[in-house]
Amino acid sequence: MFCLLFYSFFKSLVGKDVVVELKNDLSICGTLHSVDQYLNIKLTDISVTDPEKYPHMLSVKNCFIRGSVVRYVQLPADEVDTQLLQDAARKEAMQQKQ
Amino acid sequence: MFRFQSLDEDCTLEEEDDGLVEEEEDEIDQFNDDTFGAGAIDDDWQEEHKRLAELDERDELGEGLGVGVGVKDETNFGASKDSSSTHVTSTAGQLPFHSALSLPHHSSSSGRHQSDVEDGRREGHLAESLARLVLEADPAIAGVGAAERPVFSQNQRLEHESRSRLLHQASPISHSPHPHQHPQQHQRPPGSSTSGQPPSSMLTYQQQQHLLRSLPSTIGQMNSRNIWENSMGFGPVSGCPGLVTHMEDSPLMSIIKEVGLPKRPSQGRNDEGRDLSERVPPPRSSSPVIGSPPVRAVPIGTPPKQPLGHSLNHQIHHPTAVHVRAPIQHRYPPPFPERLSPNTLLNFANSPLCRGPFSPRVSPVLSQIQRAQLLNSQVAGVPRGGPVPTLLPAGGGFRPFFGGPHPTLGHRMGPPHPHGHPNHMPPIGHNATHLHPQHRRILTQRMQNRGGDRSRTGGDWRNRDPYSNLMTQKEKEWVTKIQMMQLQSTDPFLDDYYYQHYYEKMEKRQEKERDSSKKEHTTKLITPQVAKIEHTYRPVQFAGSLGKLTVSSVNNPRKMIDAVVTTRSDDEEKREKQVWNKRRQILYTVEKIYSLLLEVQDFEKRFVHAPEEDREALLEQHKTNTMQLCNSLQEKEWDDRVSDERCVMIMSVRKGKRLISRLIPYLPPSHAAAVVMAIARNLPTLAKKDKQDQVLCWLVEPVSAVIMSMSSAALTDLLQELQGSEGQLATVLHNKFGVTLLYLILSEGERMQSSDPNCQLMDDNRWTELVFSVTRELLSIPTSSLSSPLFTPTNLIALFSRYIDRQRLDLLQEKLQISDLSR
Repeated sequence: MFCLLFYSFFKSLVGKDVVVELKNDLSICGTLHSVDQYLNIKLTDISVTDPEKYPHMLSVKNCFIRGSVVRYVQLPADEVDTQLLQDAARKEAMQQKQ
Repeated sequence: MFRFQSLDEDCTLEEEDDGLVEEEEDEIDQFNDDTFGAGAIDDDWQEEHKRLAELDERDELGEGLGVGVGVKDETNFGASKDSSSTHVTSTAGQLPFHSALSLPHHSSSSGRHQSDVEDGRREGHLAESLARLVLEADPAIAGVGAAERPVFSQNQRLEHESRSRLLHQASPISHSPHPHQHPQQHQRPPGSSTSGQPPSSMLTYQQQQHLLRSLPSTIGQMNSRNIWENSMGFGPVSGCPGLVTHMEDSPLMSIIKEVGLPKRPSQGRNDEGRDLSERVPPPRSSSPVIGSPPVRAVPIGTPPKQPLGHSLNHQIHHPTAVHVRAPIQHRYPPPFPERLSPNTLLNFANSPLCRGPFSPRVSPVLSQIQRAQLLNSQVAGVPRGGPVPTLLPAGGGFRPFFGGPHPTLGHRMGPPHPHGHPNHMPPIGHNATHLHPQHRRILTQRMQNRGGDRSRTGGDWRNRDPYSNLMTQKEKEWVTKIQMMQLQSTDPFLDDYYYQHYYEKMEKRQEKERDSSKKEHTTKLITPQVAKIEHTYRPVQFAGSLGKLTVSSVNNPRKMIDAVVTTRSDDEEKREKQVWNKRRQILYTVEKIYSLLLEVQDFEKRFVHAPEEDREALLEQHKTNTMQLCNSLQEKEWDDRVSDERCVMIMSVRKGKRLISRLIPYLPPSHAAAVVMAIARNLPTLAKKDKQDQVLCWLVEPVSAVIMSMSSAALTDLLQELQGSEGQLATVLHNKFGVTLLYLILSEGERMQSSDPNCQLMDDNRWTELVFSVTRELLSIPTSSLSSPLFTPTNLIALFSRYIDRQRLDLLQEKLQISDLSR
């Protein structure tokens, strides 16, 4: 069974605006549309943050990002309950130990 | 050739229900398709040849008429050919249709001539033309459709009009831009010689159907040509012109036919049969058809039948009676991609002309996209549902043919979930995740807010997304199913911890915020839960075998090494580096207590969900956990006192402070009080350690709760503790938490005194003395060193007024910036 901690976490962030930085240094700002257990991300209404030196993305409105190429996901701080996240991580660790 | 034909024939004969048999045949044909390729046709070439020979003789006469005639006629036709006219002129093959209108006989022959010319040309440029054929759907369609449209005899004015009507109708449609539209000199099948339908027009499937139906098959002489044309090619390389009769097939199918599918002479025959129902008995060429044994309208190797084919079959038996149109009205043949497997398409795209790697147009990938584009263009006018992001194109928009219930939103439930969710279906497309109703509501609101802006601008291009429909609805569902299956959980509270608890908190927050007047029913999240099945793996055992069997599988890979996990004992840990060790130990302790705490916290939820038999065990475990939790703050196992040291130790770490704040509510009152005492006693130390983190204030809430429940004696003790040694109070006052704590104590004392006349607070002088000292301190210390508390209780003034005089009170008030409510 996959590690569902961050899947659960991202699920709660669906509909919020995030910035996804990829391993190829491309940063994409958009609304989180959906996520799956592989942490593949679908963003809608995207725009490339930082200088638009990636003009090939100009016309793209929605995108699907494979989970493995994500480096960072920047989140709105007030949407995250860090305490709960810590608890979830503890639970996950406990589960793994068993 | 193959036996399949007979199989089908049997089915045909026995069939009672069109639909049923059709499905079987679909499957059979699909299977055949995949196995043998769509080129497998079962027809008798000898018969074909004979017929063609006859035709040949007959038509040779009319060969004199050339292209020129066609051209003139075409210009005469004029009106409905606006944009398409250019196309028509450019492609030689287009003309005959127009000529057909005015000069039926000529057209047939000219068309015939055309076909001759075409063929000659075609063989020359076969390879190229075939390549392009595959790609240019619309001209093919137009060609096909056109081919269907037969030559008029002069007494068919009505049909002519109907056709012009249709042409008018079709020409606007022709404007739907198709990327691959361009004149094809060579590809124009001779069949299209009779078609005037704007060749560049992308006739959608329905339109073709429509045309087919409404033009009561004035095929006539056309038939003869069809047959001839049909039999022209017997192999993939034939470049057949006249897949004329394939109007009932999907457009791409027609391409395939053009590319290489051997003719379907039966098609021609069928057309004739249809024709016969309305016209004078056809010329001799078609007579062999009538009365011949029923032939499958579609050869075996072709994609599954459309209902049209069926009715045509029947036609043959009743040439005079039945109209083609009647039986098929109710049923729309499914759009192309479902019937034709990608393999088939690939076979045809690639097989005859597997050019080198530099003709990407024939690559498998592109053909997939071609297919999708075709479908898209077919349904270009169909709008998608609402302001839905097109990540997952709602398949519903493209299935108007089906008329069945829209399966899209059913996704969200996932097949095995027994759903009792009181959810409404928001237009979030294929969002197959299971969302909290609140969450969903927020999302829909967001969508609506944004969709309003988007729909205006994006509507047009979104309708024709060139990359949609790469997968059929079934395929999408299949993939989603697989994913959702993986996400089934036996314990959603554990697996989906964060999400569940986050929304629980949100619910609670909302309940708090919402005023009780509008009792809006808060929807709760009901998570589908799959029953837990015990999956105890028992390795394969054979009776009488010696030793362990080396049986390994995916789920049970072979154990290579018998490794035993040894945990380091506490003694060993103490031998490590001191400083870090200490800190690590603290953290380790904190985590241990945390796990206990979480277990205790979640107990209630799990208890509710647990089945009866498990409940007792759960309860037992809960008790143990709680006990352990209580004891966690003790120094030794048997010591029943809360250890100061331990508390302080834990609280020296940031995490620990958080832990304590969460732990206090779960402790028994005595323990909780003891903890608070410890805090008060050691406040200076704690304050010092907290200088960096500044998180002591996390403790305010739980501590205040404890204080409220304290007895007067305990309260006094607490105050004493707070003051403690010399100078402690000053430090306390310097710290925000300290001030807050102090105020809390005082406020509680005041409350006690005012509310309960029997309060024992004043019994001994301790309380009074302590308050005095507090006030003294408060007055003496400079304001700068006095921190402002988190909040100031309102009854402080009342308290102070008991003990100090007016003057001092005023001073104090000013200093502490306490507002006086009584005045």
